[in-house]
Amino acid sequence: MALSSLLLLQLFFKRRQTIVKKGTVVEPSGSTKQLIFFFGTMVLVTLFFNRLGFPLSSFLLMLTLLRILGVKRWTFNLPLSFMTAIVCYFLFVQWLKIPLPKGWVGL
Amino acid sequence: MLKRIFSILFVLSLIVVMPIYAAEFPTKEVQIIIPWAPGGATDLIFRALAATTGKYLGKAVVVVNKPGGAGAVGYTETAQAKPDGYTLVSAITPLTILPHQVTTAFTYKSFDPVINVVKDPGMFLVRSDAPWKSLKEFLDYAKKNPDMITVGNSGAGGGVHLIALAFEKTAGVKFNHIPFSGGGPSVTALLGGHINAVSVSPPEGIEHVKAGKLKIIALFAEKRFELFPDVPIVKEQGVDFVMGQWRGLAASKGTPPDVIKKLHDTFKQGMDDPVFIKNAKDMVVNLSYLGPEDLGKLMAADHEFYGKLVKEIKK
Amino acid sequence: MFESLQHLINGFGIATTIHNLLYCLIGAIVGTLIGVLPGIGPIAGIALLIPATFGLNPTSAIIMLAGIYYGAMYGGSTTSILLNVPGETASVITCIDGYQMAQKGRAGPALAICAIGSFIAGTIGIFGLVFLAPPLAEAALAFGPPEYFSLMVFGFIVLSNVTGTSLTKSLMMAVIGLIIGTIGLDPVTGDARFTFGSISLLGGIEFVAVAIGLFGIGEVLVNVDQPSEMLEQHVFVPRLRELYPTLQDLKKSIGPILRGTGIGFGVGLVPGPAPVIATYASYMTERRISKHPEEFGKGAIEGVAGPESANNAACQSAFIPLFVLGIPFAPPTAILLGALLIHGVSPGPMLIGQHPELFWGVIASMYIGNFILLILNLPFVPLFANILRIPKKILLPLVILFCITGMYTVNNSIFDIWMMLLFGGLGFLMRKWAYEGAPLLLALVLGPKLEVAFRQSLMISHGDFGVFVNRPISMVFLLATAIFLVIPLIRMVLKKQRKEVS
Repeated sequence: MALSSLLLLQLFFKRRQTIVKKGTVVEPSGSTKQLIFFFGTMVLVTLFFNRLGFPLSSFLLMLTLLRILGVKRWTFNLPLSFMTAIVCYFLFVQWLKIPLPKGWVGL
Repeated sequence: MLKRIFSILFVLSLIVVMPIYAAEFPTKEVQIIIPWAPGGATDLIFRALAATTGKYLGKAVVVVNKPGGAGAVGYTETAQAKPDGYTLVSAITPLTILPHQVTTAFTYKSFDPVINVVKDPGMFLVRSDAPWKSLKEFLDYAKKNPDMITVGNSGAGGGVHLIALAFEKTAGVKFNHIPFSGGGPSVTALLGGHINAVSVSPPEGIEHVKAGKLKIIALFAEKRFELFPDVPIVKEQGVDFVMGQWRGLAASKGTPPDVIKKLHDTFKQGMDDPVFIKNAKDMVVNLSYLGPEDLGKLMAADHEFYGKLVKEIKK
Repeated sequence: MFESLQHLINGFGIATTIHNLLYCLIGAIVGTLIGVLPGIGPIAGIALLIPATFGLNPTSAIIMLAGIYYGAMYGGSTTSILLNVPGETASVITCIDGYQMAQKGRAGPALAICAIGSFIAGTIGIFGLVFLAPPLAEAALAFGPPEYFSLMVFGFIVLSNVTGTSLTKSLMMAVIGLIIGTIGLDPVTGDARFTFGSISLLGGIEFVAVAIGLFGIGEVLVNVDQPSEMLEQHVFVPRLRELYPTLQDLKKSIGPILRGTGIGFGVGLVPGPAPVIATYASYMTERRISKHPEEFGKGAIEGVAGPESANNAACQSAFIPLFVLGIPFAPPTAILLGALLIHGVSPGPMLIGQHPELFWGVIASMYIGNFILLILNLPFVPLFANILRIPKKILLPLVILFCITGMYTVNNSIFDIWMMLLFGGLGFLMRKWAYEGAPLLLALVLGPKLEVAFRQSLMISHGDFGVFVNRPISMVFLLATAIFLVIPLIRMVLKKQRKEVS
């Protein structure tokens, strides 16, 4: 442990010379709200990934993210998300036999 | 309209999920969690066993790797799983070592043993051109030069490392232990002459012994290897020391006894399956069946033993 | 040597039976799919499909599994180029220039050059494997802990400014990578470091999580941060003629490809995640040698051709230690070792002698596999390039889905997904403030190994630092590092002198 901190210190000293250049400041705009929602959705889905199971999670994820990015027509959004979830399920779980969380839907 | 369809679909899927009353175990596939990355000895053995047991169980047996924390992640998860018999874990010697080294959320007591599958002895290998022709020469040199002979192992605090430490104590010598990240790198280092000896367990290093590049200088088994009948065990040479690693299966505590019995019986059938026996032989592992009570006793005994050993080292 | 040729011809005979061709094809296709999906790499792919090979004879089984290995390498570069998501760890460097090329509408040439470069590298690599295997294996054995340490110091110093942007920023990133690398169990003493009592952190932070997070998720977030109108657009899609590399492209790429092959082949012999390091080394070399280094980072085709070839060559040479010594140096070869064991073939010095048909059959099928992959991939280039036609607002959620799914498949761990998201956020910030992710990843990979080698060396030598200079190979690398550090200084001094004189 001591040795590793020695190595780190060595490099820390090099770091002292850095000038942190902060680039453009992020201005709050409509797109930032989008960003926050987007990220938030990812976090939420991850929280419930195990409980919801893979097929349901992927469906909800697609649905929500598409909506956030502006796909308003449900006739498009719903079937696309549904199809994606189904295709992925078959591809990964059935065909490639990769273990993915089952959730209470039991798939 | 679309919303209607959606909600109907939703309700339908809920209905489909209504609990299927478990007629008889098993109604779905059984999982074996392996707390290490794929490709290791444990992984291979249980994948082979899973393949043959599936047909006797009537449902698939699936292997899932959950590496991390030297095994802690996988063991913790199984210990906290529902004790319904669908989640098993590969219980191997490090299970009784780990809780003494770091604070874990489990010990061997968090599990109900099901069956033991293999048991392999530890051994020391040296290069064929090493200056020590026998165990006696090796130990004599070690006594005269404490802390000089470098002995590699597959990881600090791991199974073979502790075997090497225990051997040290029994033989009254002191080695210089060099950790590597796995059995492979440690054997490589020996081949390259960077260390003097290595502490391993089959099948690590076996191939090189067969090829004549390495030789077994110390074998910590009860009896000699079938494959190498000329290699004496240390017991025959005056050091009463036998130690190895075992690998078996366990379920989380509280699993109903009849489920355990069913699991035990089917895995035993899987073990006796000729395909598995052949696989095991090819991998040079030593099949050693133990039932649940015996495995439980073994785990308890090892837990005690390693507890003491780890304390000695930490001093 | 002629005996080898004879064997090789036999091997081709075996590899071209209908059965084995079929298995090779299946392996290659499955491998490509696995490579395209971020996260799940050849390791998981091979491990998962081992049971499928139980009924086959060993040669066919290994042919199929090896096919998966390099199929995954091919596939990994596809997502790197199209989506800036590394399909698997070695494709990280390809993201840098490959993605830029795609943004400029040159996705087609990028993909094609990957396939071509990989093929050439693979072919040359196979010959290297055939003729040089035993001596190379012996050479590989000569590397002990002190040599690894010196090699890695060299690699670290030389490669940390791989993208050539601000040196200080790169070093900062590298330091962060080093720190992240220390999280987990100390490999030498077994103590837990920086784990804050969390069991999930005991194993350290998964490299794949950091890679996909920084590059893939980071990229997606940067896109999401743009106003909605931008998301309606899709990337500029070229006409058919522009989908394939021009003659100029090919001319420019030939050098990098050959150099990449050489570098990759050499680096692949070193234990550890060699393909990753090989790509970094190739990129660095190309950038240094190039007559117009400013192009790198903005879509220079050399930055794709070189690393991809290095990648493939490193995969080939990774087989050498496996087959000759029976010791796997990289994780995917470890799985292959397991597969061999299950089929009753014990790799080691005796393998070539005992199972010549296996060894040569696999080698021959590697060549065929490369060929199949080239044929598979080239026509698909327009198809893949068309993926970029999908409007971003549909593409981005899909990418996220694949990233999350892929990440989970590595360790079946939700914690990894959290890490990925965390680094995604970090990657986003880094892009905004113009910091590079590549040095961080390099440090994450090399740092732990560097430390282990250092401590092992000192343990063996009982604390004697002389161990690093007393051994010739180690000394060579340390000298090289010193020279590398000193040259810029000398140049500066000389420049000043010249200025004063004139």
